[in-house]
Amino acid sequence: MMRSAILAETLKLLRSPVGTIGTLALVLGVLALVGGLILGIASGSPRLVAQAKFSGIDVTAGWQGLLSTAAQITAAGALLGFGVVLAWMFAREFAEGTVAGLFALPVTRGRIAFAKFAVHGLWVLLVGSALTGALLGLGLLLGYGPPGAEARAGLARQFALTLLSGALTAPVAWVASLTRSLLAGTAAAILLVIIGQIGALAGTGAWLPPAAPALWALSEGTEAGAAQLALAVLTAGAFAGFTCAHWARLQLDS
Amino acid sequence: MTAPLLSLEGVSRGFRGDSGVEELVLEVAAGEIVALIGLNGAGKTTLMRLALGMLRPREGTIRLFGVPLPHLPRRMWAQVGTLIETPPAYPELTVRQNLRLACLLRGTEPRCAEAALGTWRLDAVAARRFRRLSQGNRQRTGLALALQHDPRLIVLDEPGNALDPASVLLLREQLMRRAEAGAGVLVSSHHLDEVARIADRILLMNAGRLIGELDPAGQDLERAFFARIRADDTHRADDTHRTPDGDSAGGTRGGPA
Repeated sequence: MMRSAILAETLKLLRSPVGTIGTLALVLGVLALVGGLILGIASGSPRLVAQAKFSGIDVTAGWQGLLSTAAQITAAGALLGFGVVLAWMFAREFAEGTVAGLFALPVTRGRIAFAKFAVHGLWVLLVGSALTGALLGLGLLLGYGPPGAEARAGLARQFALTLLSGALTAPVAWVASLTRSLLAGTAAAILLVIIGQIGALAGTGAWLPPAAPALWALSEGTEAGAAQLALAVLTAGAFAGFTCAHWARLQLDS
Repeated sequence: MTAPLLSLEGVSRGFRGDSGVEELVLEVAAGEIVALIGLNGAGKTTLMRLALGMLRPREGTIRLFGVPLPHLPRRMWAQVGTLIETPPAYPELTVRQNLRLACLLRGTEPRCAEAALGTWRLDAVAARRFRRLSQGNRQRTGLALALQHDPRLIVLDEPGNALDPASVLLLREQLMRRAEAGAGVLVSSHHLDEVARIADRILLMNAGRLIGELDPAGQDLERAFFARIRADDTHRADDTHRTPDGDSAGGTRGGPA
């Protein structure tokens, strides 16, 4: 029945405008922001260059500048975008009254919650691939030439950063399920972004799961390493577990 | 003797700031239509949620197909059909997709969805998204979702809501035909006439308790309904105001006019 639950969740995400808009916002939105910033910096705008330097973006032209800008934007944008969609996947069942239909089924609600995470994970994988491919295309379009070894490693980090950002939104599902509210889930996604940004600015972010992947991608592994990334992944796994357990014990008492 | 399809034995469940339901005892046998009636807030939906595992009881035992609820094998849930309050359909999916999704989750053949579209006269709106349906079509979609897999136990909470007279007739026929085929039906309704036409037994709920049965063939069901409610209210008020030495302080909150 696990396969059925995954197929059902896939159909729900594919047919929903939320999935389509989320994909477009994450791929085209990040691409537009990166392209705009790169072109602005290349035009020599002192204000933009100063802002970019303040944000830790490499302002040199070429693959390094492009990927540094993309990582900075993805770090915040992906947490928010993936988080909002995940919040919707869980909270919608309560908001639309469809949760009652998930009782009295041969498939358990714990498995349904797991299926939601699995489908969200597959979608994150697709968005990560599309975004990395789009950045590669943008670099070629800007005339940076075929990516060398360093740029290829940067693209791989960008891909990993997108996947890790998607995984790190697991607490959003937990909050959305506990509160049965899309707004509360969205607020949790915003909170994750804030924690990540504060952690990065304070310089202690490596041990803060929402900040670790971004610091790792931006510093090319010098400010956050395997231990910090493992903590981030474990935290995401723990919250996914809490959410599935909550769904397994779910009662319709409100 | 075969076990009832559904039984509640001394089931109680309270809520914060609300007394909930108390000491419910109920059985639904194969081939039987049992109707639940009561005023708003009497506890009918809570009873149904308890019966379907949507709520856990504080006390008592609930059995489905003779098996206590926590031990019911998951596959047995495919033999239960429910519609509790709103139809559990996804607004972005068409009627057909919603029905097929339910088949998928129950592990039944997708062709049962096609048969249900015909049975519930949903063919014309099969390709329409659920969010674009009228209230009546939504309710019929909910009924098709609940019944498309020919469940042995059917639990419906006010299934006649928003239905036109033709759909009410269709619902009546469907429930009676399925009961004749051996299904057990528990249905709640505010339509006493409709209930009297289909039910083998009519159970009366008031203030979270099952307070008795009404005869479906009896004269003036409405009068009997209000008389029982008023008598129960009076009885409870007397109990509430009775002094510790047994004297009644008197007074009732009164029943419906």
